[in-house]
Amino acid sequence: MATERVTNAAAAARCHDPYLRCALYGAAQTALGVRGCCVLSHSPQGCFQLVDAAFGWQDADYTETLTLCTKLCEDEIVHGGEGVLARTILEARELDVRLMFVVTACGPEIVGDDIMAVCQDLQPEVEFPLVPILCAGFRGDQNRGIEIALEAMLEHLVPEEGGFRVPRSVCLVAPHANSNPTWMGDLAWVREVLAAMGATVVATLAHDTAPEDFEKVPMAEGCLVLSHDAGQGAADLLAERYGVEQWCRDLPLPIGFSNTASWLRELGRRLGAEAVAEGMIARGEATVVERCRRKGLEQSPLHRTPAAIVADATVGVPLLRFLAEDLEVVPTLVCLRSGQADAQAMLEREIASLGVSPTVIRDADVYAAKKALGEARPEMVFGSNVERHAVEELGIPFVFRIVNPLSRFRMVDRAYFGYEGMLNLIEVMRNDWLDRYRSRHRRYRARW
Amino acid sequence: MDPSRIAFHGTLAQLVDKVESGEMVPKLQASHAPPCKFWTAFQVLNGIRHMAPVIHGPKGCTYSVASSYKMRGCEYRGVPLEPTTCTAQDEADVIYGGEGKLLEAVKEADQRYHPDLIVILSCCCSGIVGDDVETVAETAAFQVQARVLALRSEGFGGDFRSGYEDAFRALMDLMEPRTEVMKGTVNIIGAREGPTYTEWTQDLDEIQRLVKGIGARINGVLCGGCTVEEIRRASSAEINASWCYDWGQKLGDLMEERFGVPYARTGQPYGPAATEEWIMGVAEPLGLERQARQFIAEESAAVADEVRTLQRCFQGKTTLIEISEFPGPIRALSLARMAEEFGAHPVVINLHPYTVKERLPSLKFLLSRGENPEVILTHGIFALGSFNASASTQEDVAMIASQYDNALYVGSPLRQPGVPQLNMTTMTGYPQYGYRGIRNMARLAESGLEHAARPRSRLFKRVLYGD
Repeated sequence: MATERVTNAAAAARCHDPYLRCALYGAAQTALGVRGCCVLSHSPQGCFQLVDAAFGWQDADYTETLTLCTKLCEDEIVHGGEGVLARTILEARELDVRLMFVVTACGPEIVGDDIMAVCQDLQPEVEFPLVPILCAGFRGDQNRGIEIALEAMLEHLVPEEGGFRVPRSVCLVAPHANSNPTWMGDLAWVREVLAAMGATVVATLAHDTAPEDFEKVPMAEGCLVLSHDAGQGAADLLAERYGVEQWCRDLPLPIGFSNTASWLRELGRRLGAEAVAEGMIARGEATVVERCRRKGLEQSPLHRTPAAIVADATVGVPLLRFLAEDLEVVPTLVCLRSGQADAQAMLEREIASLGVSPTVIRDADVYAAKKALGEARPEMVFGSNVERHAVEELGIPFVFRIVNPLSRFRMVDRAYFGYEGMLNLIEVMRNDWLDRYRSRHRRYRARW
Repeated sequence: MDPSRIAFHGTLAQLVDKVESGEMVPKLQASHAPPCKFWTAFQVLNGIRHMAPVIHGPKGCTYSVASSYKMRGCEYRGVPLEPTTCTAQDEADVIYGGEGKLLEAVKEADQRYHPDLIVILSCCCSGIVGDDVETVAETAAFQVQARVLALRSEGFGGDFRSGYEDAFRALMDLMEPRTEVMKGTVNIIGAREGPTYTEWTQDLDEIQRLVKGIGARINGVLCGGCTVEEIRRASSAEINASWCYDWGQKLGDLMEERFGVPYARTGQPYGPAATEEWIMGVAEPLGLERQARQFIAEESAAVADEVRTLQRCFQGKTTLIEISEFPGPIRALSLARMAEEFGAHPVVINLHPYTVKERLPSLKFLLSRGENPEVILTHGIFALGSFNASASTQEDVAMIASQYDNALYVGSPLRQPGVPQLNMTTMTGYPQYGYRGIRNMARLAESGLEHAARPRSRLFKRVLYGD
């Protein structure tokens, strides 16, 4: 069935209430995925708060990863901030820095600080490599920043010559461009799967990545982009420069039975591990079924219930099939905050193949999402804490909080990918459902 | 004391002199950056109900303050989430300017959200390219239903403090001339969205209880969840009082100058004397001394046991008040005063030269009232890298504590210097202000003494200091 309506929310609006941060944040997120690095924010001190937030998103360890800021003020905007940048880089020599990324904010880029030249000039004076990343906020949103940073990493840290190819090896790209608040769980699942299929991960761009891993990037046979929101640019570069082939490109990420099975089969085919893939699928599905039998799978709130998805493309696109196919929900609205060019086409294919007809909103901001929810009036929303607030006046009873920002702290990483991921999502639904169902009214006083 | 760890040791007055004369450079090291002017200006405005900000900047600045302040404030205060909007400036706007887009965005915000107030905030981008936000605000004011203000709040344009002060200054444009004074009515000023480390709702609640206790009425808490209407009539309140002298001081001075609203200049109500002073500072100008005396007597009697506990805990001790994580500089000085009241010798640790510079008017006010405690600055707070600073400061504080036979540490549990300690950051320890604060602090102090010998856990040691 064809989509009834596809709207690009960002195109018409002048006034935006965004779900995303800017390019500086995305670049900082990416840089902070490198173990033992130092990220120097060439910016006023407010932008440093974005670097702090990125630090949290990458689960960086503050005993080994450093964040610094040039704290630009009016003087540096009027007279230029290259001097203070140079001074801060030199001061960092007293720290245990293995690699320094210099990320730049709007101010210094507009006034024309030549960050590239400063880094080039100072490189002989410091023992750590300097990687400048021009990622001013006005260059785009956080996903654009991830692309910019990945490109800078490939440019500065990956050797031009590929060397030998490691058989059955893979480079993982953009695992952090994923609105699952503990996306490290998804990454861990992918790593487990690859290991079981006998593959080697030569580098992850970027999470807990050792600086020396960059040298191995050209040795990869294939790359997997673990996001539908960012990373395609880097995958294209890897293909163009080093002949690293992208795997699973046109497949939704592995959320739900069908998506997970397709993804695993494709990976098995690439790695010559078809039997391993089939074994994983059989065992994984059996585990989910058995767990649901034993612990109970609540059907009544889900069965043919009109539902909305408000998420990024990484979670939102594959979630659609999981909800419609596995949980018998009827998706009436898909509101994507972001998504790469391919993600829209992928979503259209999914909608057609599932025979559903949700309204689709692309590039949604908070206003567009709220407005769409108001019009669609679903009975449940798969989204974030923002939607929990947004639907309060709309009378929509259930908001399952699965994507960032959440109002719940998670100490343990929970995957959405794979079979345990399905159980994790079902667990969130069950708890949020119970939370909403529980009465807040006290009708009489206890006697104990 | 190991001199290699000490950057300054003297009195508050001497430290202020050194900062003013440039002998101590009031600069924060690269890794310790408070928010910029834009963030802090937003923080103030975010404390106004039904205010739609239109941030003339890229998405990053917008989502960041929405996430850090708006969402957090909503969760903490239980108020509804309202929009945080921007023009989403891109490269084209930077090259060609974005005033037209801004005007359209303001109109769109008005149509979508029906706010009482729209505030245009400029960011680094719009500030540098010279977009005239004030003129856009003036133009928009004729085309929309809401009141419209503009605030130049480029992040590079000033320190974090200037954002608060400029936002308070801009809000005065919403105030009507002072005509008929609302007798017995008080504005609580200097508040922001909450919760910040310096501003807890429970403390504000206690302040409001004290005001009501003497028979006065509160017009509004500016800007701690106030309405535009409360701001509009704030100039007609009989008096302004601050929840914290430091944060309220600028708005208090400005409203006194522009509207003639008297301002009760008192410190924070920590301990019996400062609480009494705070209450009388409000009661006397309102002619409510008798009610206030009676209220103070009743409340004091109710916490007499707790006051005795605090005296027992503080008497004869050297109180080490370390502020880099919490309680912050002004609360630290208020605590120093309270410690002295209970018979202790206070030593304030790590009052950063940066914060001294930013708070000079408040510090001079406190000095003029005879509050001049001993101050120690350690090299730890100047260490580059936040982890280095934290681990190093723990060693510094432990070294200082070991110099005294009878030290009592007051601050954050991030440090555990091996002496009795009063944890000022526990969520169940608020309010710290007023009489309820006395009750809470007595409980915490007693627990601190009782459990002084307990060691720092292996878990915390390894997490916090990397041991």
